Amino acid sequence: MHVNSTRFGEIEIRDDAIISFPEGLPGLDGERWALIASSEASPFFWLHSVDHAAIAVPVTSPWLFFSDYEVSVPEDAARALGLDNPGDAYIVCVVRASDEIQDFTINLAGPLVINAVTRTGRQVINAAGGYAVRHPLFSEVELNEVQPSSAPVPVTAAAE
Amino acid sequence: MLVITRKPGDRIRLGDDITVTVLDVVGSTVRLGIDAPAEIPVYRHEVWEAIEAENRAAADSSVSQLKPPEDTP
Repeated sequence: MHVNSTRFGEIEIRDDAIISFPEGLPGLDGERWALIASSEASPFFWLHSVDHAAIAVPVTSPWLFFSDYEVSVPEDAARALGLDNPGDAYIVCVVRASDEIQDFTINLAGPLVINAVTRTGRQVINAAGGYAVRHPLFSEVELNEVQPSSAPVPVTAAAE
Repeated sequence: MLVITRKPGDRIRLGDDITVTVLDVVGSTVRLGIDAPAEIPVYRHEVWEAIEAENRAAADSSVSQLKPPEDTP
């Protein structure tokens, strides 16, 4: 798929890198998304809409920042995603970036759960309660301590 | 939209599998008991609204904001 991204310019997304969110992402248009890496060293990916050139959200693996984070996937979502094997679940959380690093937040209450085998995902309400929609991202670690992200689904590289 | 009046202890049946019971009413607060199959998601509406708002706010993030500090002049 060819996407003329407002952020990254022309990017070519392989068919096997497309992640389907049949229910969409709440508040955002589009069912087809792909992970885009703008830097190999970054802990962040962009989850970029395949159908809307201007829509993308930063995501990261929450465990890079919060090693004791817990996710309980609601049973209806696990069934819909065909997640019989928990090892197939790839989980990222949406990040709200900001000009100041101390203002970055992460949505720990609504993680994105992706079946890495079928590349189908859904944003769920974390049944392991008590997490905030807008949790300070750099409350426990510094940016230079965070490892780069890796993903079990294909990631498309974007020119920096 | 259906509007009906219920008293504490009264129930509403939605389809074959879902029962909502009015447990009690105290002032402006209603406590509801919801019996639904595990595959039916039940959410507080404001939680979804918060996630929608957060997704939209996250989509306003820019590439330059996510650049590591050493990359920025």
